[in-house]
Amino acid sequence: METLQATTKLNALTELLSERYVSEMPEAFKSKKDQAVLALEKLDFPTTKQEYWKYTRTGLIANKSWRFADNFDLPELPIELKEITPRMVFVNGVFNAENSELEDIQGMEITEFSKSKQGFIADLEPYVNYTKSPFLALNTALPQNGYCIRVSKNTAIEKPINIINVYTGDTTISQPRSVIRLEESAELKITEFHIHVSEKPTFSNTALEVQLAANSTLGIDVIQKGNTDSYHMQQLDAVVAGDSVFTHNNFTMRGRWTRNNGNVRLQGSNITANLNGFYIPNDSEHIDNHTIMDHEQPHCDSNELYRGVLLGKSTAVFNGKVYVRPNAQKTNAFQSNGNILVSDDATVNSKPELEIYADDVKCSHGSTTGQIDEEALYYLRTRGLSKSTAYKMMVGAFAADVLNEMANPVWRKYIEDVISHELSKA
Amino acid sequence: MLIVDNLHASVDGKEILKGLSLTVKPGEVHAIMGPNGSGKSTLAAVLAGNDNFDVTEGSITFLGEDLLELRPDERSHAGIFLAFQYPVEIPGVSNINFLKEAINEHRQAKGLDPMTAKEFLARVREKAKLVELDNKLTNRSVNEGFSGGEKKRNEIFQMAMLEPKLGVLDETDSGLDIDALRIVANGVNQLRDADRSFVVVTHYQRLLEYIQPDFVHVLFDGRIVKSGGKELALELEEKGYDWIKKEQDNVPA
Repeated sequence: METLQATTKLNALTELLSERYVSEMPEAFKSKKDQAVLALEKLDFPTTKQEYWKYTRTGLIANKSWRFADNFDLPELPIELKEITPRMVFVNGVFNAENSELEDIQGMEITEFSKSKQGFIADLEPYVNYTKSPFLALNTALPQNGYCIRVSKNTAIEKPINIINVYTGDTTISQPRSVIRLEESAELKITEFHIHVSEKPTFSNTALEVQLAANSTLGIDVIQKGNTDSYHMQQLDAVVAGDSVFTHNNFTMRGRWTRNNGNVRLQGSNITANLNGFYIPNDSEHIDNHTIMDHEQPHCDSNELYRGVLLGKSTAVFNGKVYVRPNAQKTNAFQSNGNILVSDDATVNSKPELEIYADDVKCSHGSTTGQIDEEALYYLRTRGLSKSTAYKMMVGAFAADVLNEMANPVWRKYIEDVISHELSKA
Repeated sequence: MLIVDNLHASVDGKEILKGLSLTVKPGEVHAIMGPNGSGKSTLAAVLAGNDNFDVTEGSITFLGEDLLELRPDERSHAGIFLAFQYPVEIPGVSNINFLKEAINEHRQAKGLDPMTAKEFLARVREKAKLVELDNKLTNRSVNEGFSGGEKKRNEIFQMAMLEPKLGVLDETDSGLDIDALRIVANGVNQLRDADRSFVVVTHYQRLLEYIQPDFVHVLFDGRIVKSGGKELALELEEKGYDWIKKEQDNVPA
């Protein structure tokens, strides 16, 4: 393969990773890969001069020599894997068949991304802008394995699917790539769990493409468990047809650097799209949620609820962009971001961005940032609750608004335990 | 049971209580009356352990223990309950779940096992009846969207659930219509027994028609300036607080 002279840090990383790239990808994906490779020639890591990256520096990632892992053993996990079925397990972007458990489900194809036969989601093309998301270009140029799910027309899959992504090693990068496609009137619930278990730097750069045909329903919960040296870049792009319901709930527990891009294109009428998130960073960690709700057609509702609890010297960003295109009359777009600063040293940047080109719409947004209500805390304590129990109860109530939205509540206890554990240290 | 001796307390450096003394024996009901700003609510807050108030002098002994050394939750475990003048709304925290947790922390402090769900629910049913508290309210978030009267009934309900040795009622009657007042007073009266005492802080004599006190104290400028039986409340009602103010003005400081 002809290699170009590296002129940017991102070019250099791409080159380095290409030399060791061994993953397979479906034939249908190759043109997409080629486009990304071409785009990468002119790209570098984003800087805070770009509006889209204003509050999130990428230097911590740009300055490390990431490499693909060479060890794919499954380490011990804080969850009972056997109880979570059906499941696909990936370690450092590589499918782990031995620890996966899939069953034949009527009306659903579930395969590894690399073995997928289906075409890829062309409708995303106008939407995916590599200059905004060079990380997505990197994932697309050198994708590793992920899952590919297709649910047939009129099929409702009752049992939620579980995808476990585990990241280990030292300065390792993983690039899971996944696709979900629901045909007309199909239904699916899925949980993605991403866990960084290494104490050394690990970087997951994920991409998920979703396409919902008319009248379908999809609920995705993404649970990210990071640590003081984990880096997680997550890209979600969903294209939703009319009469569908799309819900994405994102839980970010810790992580040195996390950026979640969630983009939903509401292509038809009568869609309900929900993007929700909860995040709890500690120490010097940074968690950034950027969303785009793009209303193209009339009579759609979108809801966004993001809640954060910040400990230590951590920082968080919420940026919610809503487009209401000229056609999209009778749009209801609702956005709310609330933050509790547990420590005086924590910081939040919360920013709604509404671009409205239709005149008969309801759009609202609200943002609150504050301490826990001391008066309420005192009230609970006068009833005999210890300070820490009272505190946990109040934070739990704050998080519950998002937890209540979960597509697959089986994971709820795990999240609550992590939150409780983090608060015990505060 | 409770011995308050020469209590001085201040908030933001401003002295509110200036040498208050009060002794409450088991089973007694003491009414604390006084004009606005005399320090009634400060006394209630200091008893419950609100750390916005600094105790600068004096002592509080409760059942032989130095109360000032205890945190608010420990005071609750020891048997003190404060019914708030302004009960706090806590969105998302269920009334029932928090009470269950509170009762279990009380039991844990006494070395007892947690209460069974069955026992707990039986107690909820029994105590909710005392103040005619609707089932729906017991299951809602703490005080959220409750009317003024419902909030006060919820305070008495919580008190009934926690079975304290000393109930401190901070202007529980203020802002209640006569029906709500009757319900609240009736709840308190049913909780009266030979071992349980009450300190009832109120601005209005009306409450004392429903909760008959054993003693009435008049608080003025951070001190108890007059004590007597329930007839003192009637006298106050008749003559107004100006009577106390005038009397005090004539007393050399």
